[in-house]
Amino acid sequence: MSETITQLGKYAEEASSKVTSLRKNESLVEVSQDSLKKFLAHLVNDLHVRHLMTITGLDLGQNIAITYDFSQERDTIHVRTTVPKTKLVALSIVDIVPGAILYEMEVHDMFGVEFIGNPWKDQKLLLPEEWPDDLPPPLLKTTKAEQIRKRLGLEVVKR
Amino acid sequence: MSAGTGEPQRKEASAGLMEYSTESLVPFGPIHPALKEPEYFKLVLEGERIINVIPRIGYVHRGLEKASESRPWVQNMYMFERTCGICSFVHSVCYGQAVEELTMFQTPRRAKYIRTIILEMERIHSHLLWVGLMGHWAGFDTLFMWVWNDREVVLDLVEAISGNRVHKSMNAFCGVRRDMPENMADRIVERMKFLTDRARYYKEIIDTEETMLKRTENIGKVSVDTVEKLCAVGPMARYVGLRRDVRLNDPYAAYDEVPLDIITTTEGDVHALLRLRLDELVASANMVTYAVQNLPDGPIRVKIPPIIPAGEHSSHCEAPRGEIFYYARSSGGRTPERIKSRQPTMANLPTALEMLKGQTLADIPVVLTAIDPCFGCMDRMSFYDTETNRKWTWSGEELRQYGINHYFPDRSKKHNEARTIRDPSRIGQECRLEEF
Amino acid sequence: MPRRKTGAAIPEMFRLMLEKPTTEAYPFKPIQLPQRFRGKLDIDPAKCTGCQVCALVCPASVITMVDLGTRKVGDKELKVRRPLFDLSTCIFCGECVDNCAFNALELTKQFEIATPNKAELLMNKAIVK
Repeated sequence: MSETITQLGKYAEEASSKVTSLRKNESLVEVSQDSLKKFLAHLVNDLHVRHLMTITGLDLGQNIAITYDFSQERDTIHVRTTVPKTKLVALSIVDIVPGAILYEMEVHDMFGVEFIGNPWKDQKLLLPEEWPDDLPPPLLKTTKAEQIRKRLGLEVVKR
Repeated sequence: MSAGTGEPQRKEASAGLMEYSTESLVPFGPIHPALKEPEYFKLVLEGERIINVIPRIGYVHRGLEKASESRPWVQNMYMFERTCGICSFVHSVCYGQAVEELTMFQTPRRAKYIRTIILEMERIHSHLLWVGLMGHWAGFDTLFMWVWNDREVVLDLVEAISGNRVHKSMNAFCGVRRDMPENMADRIVERMKFLTDRARYYKEIIDTEETMLKRTENIGKVSVDTVEKLCAVGPMARYVGLRRDVRLNDPYAAYDEVPLDIITTTEGDVHALLRLRLDELVASANMVTYAVQNLPDGPIRVKIPPIIPAGEHSSHCEAPRGEIFYYARSSGGRTPERIKSRQPTMANLPTALEMLKGQTLADIPVVLTAIDPCFGCMDRMSFYDTETNRKWTWSGEELRQYGINHYFPDRSKKHNEARTIRDPSRIGQECRLEEF
Repeated sequence: MPRRKTGAAIPEMFRLMLEKPTTEAYPFKPIQLPQRFRGKLDIDPAKCTGCQVCALVCPASVITMVDLGTRKVGDKELKVRRPLFDLSTCIFCGECVDNCAFNALELTKQFEIATPNKAELLMNKAIVK
């Protein structure tokens, strides 16, 4: 286990969680929304893990999981937080990692999560402007492709 | 597309990163006969200098991540291969690596070497294509023709190995589908030597030819701090001096055994990017030569069952443009639960916008091509000059002509009289004025 | 620092004028194809048994199985199926070729298959007797 991961365990304990080791140099830390920014500030400023690869959204049924994927040398560190589907609001990390701005816009488009603090949070990045408001975000498990096609008036080529 | 109204507000040049402004977009046709891939930029100018850039992407969004959730694992490999034409093999390798770790099978050593050979050939192909494009956008079309001629050499080699020039379809889970043909080794080594000599000659041209130097020196500079903060990847991080390369930091395939040569520069302008990519081409040719001459024996594939056990795993690889990231999550079925793929151009886009600020109008084609975008280039760009309060639009070709005429005004007088757009003050009469 | 000059590429231009042109003479001369070239799909109807593995693995939904009746084996009635290929959506990946246990499928070197009539790309060699 590398130096970074050992130190990470210390900060994870502060946030009342622990570091799980997945296969082959991958570690996962699950934190709550309240302790997310403090934990990430430790990660970026104290441990100098500055390269954010992407932000992944995941539909877990009752919640949406937002995973921040960091990388340093051989280690990949996933920091996961969940927001309930009843209140899709999360905190933006653009003040800690400015490069996260486009990734947060993508999660907003695809899952409907609103990031407080993102300067472009009301703009659409990938979805077209005429995406109707009553059509749910596309990557949720409950949104079917058939539903999207019908609502947008697209044809299907039948085989 | 809906039209927007509203007065654009004048914003000062940003001290922070990515200022938010209240203009609304009027996208009028990212589909244009003269472009490669659609996308849209809106630039706010002050005279000739750019002070703000607002991007709008998503015109070729195909919903691959959603589509992958209803297809079996093997069929997804062919689908993700078609994310991009130039980096298609590295997408299928990265997806394959993310899923292979969920099974209990290991990839044979010979398959890893063959993957490395094809990956490096793809890098050579991509860098040759890019050098040609830089020549085209800078006005040096001869270089474009010569470089794309040499590109045929590497495409012929790839076709001889895999059967197709662009979508190789060679990768499978835990192995490759086809072995190297017999008696290819000598041919590959000889062709790699030819490409190395050509790359050295092109480096000589870009270092001495006045045309290229004028267009590319001292243009497109960013600081190291900006690049780190905005998480740029690939040559965009290496051209300011960061040693950021997935093949070095986290080796995959056969990169822990093949001698690696990571190129970084410190000048940080577009000319340095040209030299960096040509040096990388030479390094890739050396890697291919080594791998072909030291190919280990053994099987090339391990057949795995169609059901992948439950779990999650991610993987990243170094594409010609930067770092690709794949995340795969399985719930033990025939189809995946979630696949996430992140392309390098999305990671480089904030850095590209920072590169544009402070440049002149004539440098836009060169700077935007310098990031090696995989969504192509300018389709239709709207301009708003805050000093004279004028708005106009240009196509990519008109912008390219403007850049050439700006730098070399005597060269193309007679040749381009009919198409020349030399004086911005005359633009309003020639092009349509649009609502901003 | 190398000397800056214009016309650095002129010697190369003279050299290239003496070489033969790069452009291939296709379609006036036949084109050289490598041995592993992947072109149009072809089936040998004598070898096909209707096991439908090719239809299950195709990524592009090219193959549909067509019912052709039944045959008697012992005292059981077994269905007879044969594949119908819609080659307009084929991506030439070769998954069907790799997975066919009877070597009935092959990717030929024929690449001039563009046609204004989509019905021409429907390959029913295995069905029609």
